Amino acid sequence: MEVITCSALLSVSLLAQSSALPSVGYGAMAMLLLFIMGSMWIGVIANRATESSGFMKGFFLGNRGLGAWALALTATIQSGGTFMGFPSLVYSHGWIVALWIGSYMVVPITGFGILGKRLAQLSRRTGAITVPDLFRTRFHSPALGVTCTIFILLYLSFMMFAQFKAGAIIIKLAWPGSGELALSESTSVMDMRYHIGLVIFALTVVGYTLIGGFLAAVWTDLFQSLMMFVGVMILLFASLSAAGGLEQATQTSLQNTGPGFVFGPGYIPDGSPHQFLPLSLAISFFVVWIWGGVGAPAGLVRLMASQNTNVIRRSVYLLSLYNMGIYLPLIVICICGRALIPSLETTDEIIPRLALMTTSGWPGGSLVAGLILAAPFGAVMATVSSYLVVLSSGVVRDIYQRFINPHAERNELRRAAWATMIVAGAVSVAVSWSPVKYLQAFIIFSTSGAAATFLVSTLMACYWRRATRVGVFFSMITGALTVMTLYLIGIFELLPQPSIGAVTGFRPYFLFGLDPLIWGILSSAVMGIGGSLLSTPPEEELVAKMFGRID
Amino acid sequence: MNSSPPVAQPGASETEKPDPTLTDPLVRSSMREALLVTAIWFIAGTWSISVCYLMGYNRSVESLKLVFGFPDWIFWGIVIPWMTCTVVSILFGLIFIRDGELGQDLENADDLGLGG
Repeated sequence: MEVITCSALLSVSLLAQSSALPSVGYGAMAMLLLFIMGSMWIGVIANRATESSGFMKGFFLGNRGLGAWALALTATIQSGGTFMGFPSLVYSHGWIVALWIGSYMVVPITGFGILGKRLAQLSRRTGAITVPDLFRTRFHSPALGVTCTIFILLYLSFMMFAQFKAGAIIIKLAWPGSGELALSESTSVMDMRYHIGLVIFALTVVGYTLIGGFLAAVWTDLFQSLMMFVGVMILLFASLSAAGGLEQATQTSLQNTGPGFVFGPGYIPDGSPHQFLPLSLAISFFVVWIWGGVGAPAGLVRLMASQNTNVIRRSVYLLSLYNMGIYLPLIVICICGRALIPSLETTDEIIPRLALMTTSGWPGGSLVAGLILAAPFGAVMATVSSYLVVLSSGVVRDIYQRFINPHAERNELRRAAWATMIVAGAVSVAVSWSPVKYLQAFIIFSTSGAAATFLVSTLMACYWRRATRVGVFFSMITGALTVMTLYLIGIFELLPQPSIGAVTGFRPYFLFGLDPLIWGILSSAVMGIGGSLLSTPPEEELVAKMFGRID
Repeated sequence: MNSSPPVAQPGASETEKPDPTLTDPLVRSSMREALLVTAIWFIAGTWSISVCYLMGYNRSVESLKLVFGFPDWIFWGIVIPWMTCTVVSILFGLIFIRDGELGQDLENADDLGLGG
């Protein structure tokens, strides 16, 4: 979902239409302020919760104390995109998007059942606080640790830049009295309000993450996930009532569009031969959402932080119920949206527009709409906070502590972590002040690249005794290079390809119609297995420590 | 990917040293669960994609049938398997996943004296 977050965040642009609905801006701004104050408070509480422990494990891993709710609702879902880009796709292409997102039906068991228990155990056996820590110790290879660190810093930096821009735009548009109309990526949006929004966003998110570290990131994520659930439930009821039920909504939206809206491969508004979801991409997304999620570095860290196996078990069924209550209702909501608002030019606006329309006559409707509209802001803050923690842990643990000051005391480590977050925030503000054209392309690549780099290598680390540092190194490099190559071919249009997939400015090259991540995973697996079998077997003592019974 | 490693016997001595010939029970149960989850993912994907493709692609609009407001292919290809997977996930979490000791963390993870 991350790949669609940035442009989708513009959905909140409807907030700007305060001249038509003057109370909306105040409701939304009130909710934004609530999110900001709530997050700061969470930061302080998180700080108190980790004060008595060792700094590294407390600040970067929450003392491995994540409970079921926190783990379930924050480890696998990328909620930033859930409320924004995904609804836009449903509104644009119709019911076919249910198949596009269909693999989320098994995310709860794949997200926790494939790596959860074993990764939590392995991270304890290795004493790992970060993902590079885990690989370094599991394979007894500093070089592998450095490789991981470089990849994580690279990917997360790009992924974080986009979130800063999105956060700034939300604040700008929620400003009471703002007369701005809907915006798009191509519109010039970098005015004074944007820059003020950028600074406020940066100060807020860096501030509370700096205070509370990993736990602050997780708890704000949990907070916004729950808010989002409440928002979806309210909007489901409101939109179904307004549309006259789902059957009526489907029929009306069909009349408003065309047959593609209710059948595959999906509706294309301009009637071009472009196909949103041909069979090859339907198969791709059943792989991409699942295995991409399993290999995401920020998710791996949260699994490492889980308290015990009972927590992992409970997370499975909590997330099952949550996903069921979020994704199918969101699809229904957006189908109703197409029936109620037939031709929305900026489709990213569907959720806020629907919220405004359906709650306008309610007592306190402004605040309800504000809650729905401000949820993306909470999602963006939580995402940035999570990236800041992983980024900072990479610098402090894997660079500062390893190579610069191995005997650093608690206060030195704390200062290093703070300095990293402040620098990361400052760089993000600088980059987002006037974003470069190809930034979005790097962000999209980073999401797939991270999964292609870490999925197979983590599976090998967890489950294969014969895996070697050489094999894992080749697995990481090959996965990353494969995805990067296919993205570069697509972005620069070096090879002709069929017109398929979501209509965006940057499309990868779909080799044989399949998503690049699939090729990344396959090549990573081939090189990982081949490289391991062809290299010297790992030391028996090391394997015993990682796999043997040692209680 | 593990080639049938031996299993640690329950009740092993607490002072028992690591033995490369014995695999921790939690590793075994994790792998078993991971394989089952992968199978569930494969079955769910095969069902959803097949049903949606066969029932929902390239149809004439006159043939549209709605089930509880959903197009029939979405109902049978997404809604029903999603509900089934939710039930399976709940049962998986409640019954199938085996609890186990994750082991002790290293005493002082702030230091770099990591194992290995």
